[in-house]
Amino acid sequence: MKQAGIGLSLYGLLMIPPVVHFLESVMLFHMLVQLPLLIVAGWLMGGIFIGKFINFFTKWNASGIPGILLFIIITMYWMLPRVLDEAVSLWYMELFKFISLPFLAGLCLRDSWCKLKIVGKSFVYLNYLPMFGLMAWLYIDTPIQICNNYLEDQQKVLGWGFLFITICMIIYILQQVFSDQSETPNH
Amino acid sequence: MNVNQVAEKTRNNQVVTYLAISGIIVIAMMIFGILMLLQQGGVINLPPATFYQFLTIHGTGMIGVAALAAAAIMWYFLNKYVTLSQKILRINLALFLIGVVMVIIGVFSFEYASAWTFLYPLPALSANAWGTIGALLYLGGMLVLGIGFLLFYLDAGRAIIKKYGSLGKGLGWDVIAGKKAEQDAPPGAVVASTMVTIVNTTAITAGAVVLIMNIINVINPSFTFDPLLAKNLTYAFGHIFANAVIYMAVIAVYEILQKYTDRPWKSSKSFLVAWTMSTVFTLIIYTHHLLMDSVMPKWTLIMAQVLSYSNGLPVLVVTAYGALMIVYKSGIKWDMASGLTYVAMFGWVLGVVPAIIDATIVVNHVMHNTKWVPGHFHMYMGLGALAMIFGFMYYVAKVECNMRINMLDKMAFVIYILGIMGVSGSFLVSGAISTPRRWATHFPDWIGPAQFGAVSGICLVMAVSIFVWHFVRFLMNRNTLNAGSDFSKKKLA
Repeated sequence: MKQAGIGLSLYGLLMIPPVVHFLESVMLFHMLVQLPLLIVAGWLMGGIFIGKFINFFTKWNASGIPGILLFIIITMYWMLPRVLDEAVSLWYMELFKFISLPFLAGLCLRDSWCKLKIVGKSFVYLNYLPMFGLMAWLYIDTPIQICNNYLEDQQKVLGWGFLFITICMIIYILQQVFSDQSETPNH
Repeated sequence: MNVNQVAEKTRNNQVVTYLAISGIIVIAMMIFGILMLLQQGGVINLPPATFYQFLTIHGTGMIGVAALAAAAIMWYFLNKYVTLSQKILRINLALFLIGVVMVIIGVFSFEYASAWTFLYPLPALSANAWGTIGALLYLGGMLVLGIGFLLFYLDAGRAIIKKYGSLGKGLGWDVIAGKKAEQDAPPGAVVASTMVTIVNTTAITAGAVVLIMNIINVINPSFTFDPLLAKNLTYAFGHIFANAVIYMAVIAVYEILQKYTDRPWKSSKSFLVAWTMSTVFTLIIYTHHLLMDSVMPKWTLIMAQVLSYSNGLPVLVVTAYGALMIVYKSGIKWDMASGLTYVAMFGWVLGVVPAIIDATIVVNHVMHNTKWVPGHFHMYMGLGALAMIFGFMYYVAKVECNMRINMLDKMAFVIYILGIMGVSGSFLVSGAISTPRRWATHFPDWIGPAQFGAVSGICLVMAVSIFVWHFVRFLMNRNTLNAGSDFSKKKLA
């Protein structure tokens, strides 16, 4: 309940017009701060929904795969430069963003992640790794302005942001696989 | 049969399927190789476009199928020490077959012919030699193949971490650091599998990035990217993935020779250090494929030369030395399995020599675009990795059914060695007389070695057909012949 409260507060905070305006004024903040925070808000609030509709989630997302596929589709969609642009220009896209990221992506991620086996989790993680690398390339290397609302410089900054995340993800993998994960001290 | 035996047979069924598919594809790929050599030797007259399609399918298919068979070896032996997923093994095979079908359709129906390197921007800029669909089918097929292998290595990594605690411990770092006794070190199969898991996960991830970049570029050519970055990613994928084949296949050497000599192949500290060194070097030496790219940072090229000298050597030395020691005065009973795995050590040692020569910058500038390089990798893969794979096929047939070898198999053994030496020797001679590689047509001065190579290749196909026939006979008689369970108990030495 406390978690859901924090999620709701975060969601409310992200919807305050000055906060929306500030986060969407910089491309890096829009893509790498606002969108992930909306997913986090959905994750935090998700506990209540999942608890309420447990039968639905058990029936339709038993393995966690349908949910994680939906999460991947939603997040991939929101990585496209065009939709980022449209979210700033068109009210219904903005509305869709505030609904799809917390209530589809965040919620599904929460329900699916614990159901996925380690291979599935690793696959999802390693899927995002090259995807973020590609996004880094796209935004750094594109020689033209690809959004009407953001200048070329902002694209490049966002690209470096993606590259930073990619490098962090690689470091995380390395520490994860090379640090001791034994259940017992001695094997 | 008790429950355990049934479970083991089910597990082995999948490995056997991997091997049967691999054996058949290897023969098909060899035939494409012979056709190319006959074309270069002026014996047949193929249209150039067909030659390059053959070049593409031969390169892609050979590495892919060698990796598939080597993965079967890794799974078969690693599964003795850790618990691997059979489901993932099945998924890998299914994705492999889907990928192969996509690649074949792309190459033969849509005339895609960029060679396995799919070097940017060639997939999109073919001068109308092929279209968008062919390129997408090939690149997409490679991506599907890669996904299957990625799942396979993730599962291997998961199982190793679960049993040993971390990939570092799988490589025996705690033993190297003195925290654990040498007798508790992970077995060779685990060490090698850990190494391959690390390097191939990296390679496939790099490959996925460059494949997707190429796919985007093919769909919308206005999206371009740095060709040097693309080449780095392509070779980070291709070099490591091809190189790792032998590191998977060598597990057969460790396990089979142990069994035949009834002596343990212990993981000593030097053995573990060697595998760790090769793990690091394999990841970073791919730049020896870029020695002719003057725009590469100088330090990377110097590093490529220095580390290429050191890359294969640590594992090669400990393995070759270990193989000599384990066999020495053991009274081993030689047959096809032990013979092929042993001769593979010779092939590995011999095969790296032309590579080390080519990794020398001043030599590379002259030799790299000649047939010297195919000379290296045909010897390395043919007499090294493939010999290990065929040895393993004979081993499985013996373990499961006590399949006996006959005179034909023994003849095939000799013909195989002479055949692959002939093929790789012809390439090396072609390289020495400056014959360019990847050319559909040769000047008259260059055709002699190509013709010799084609004849050697025909002998090679005959030998491999006998190997595969032996395996097919094993498949047909699998349920009727006596299980060779006593094989594991009695000393063959």
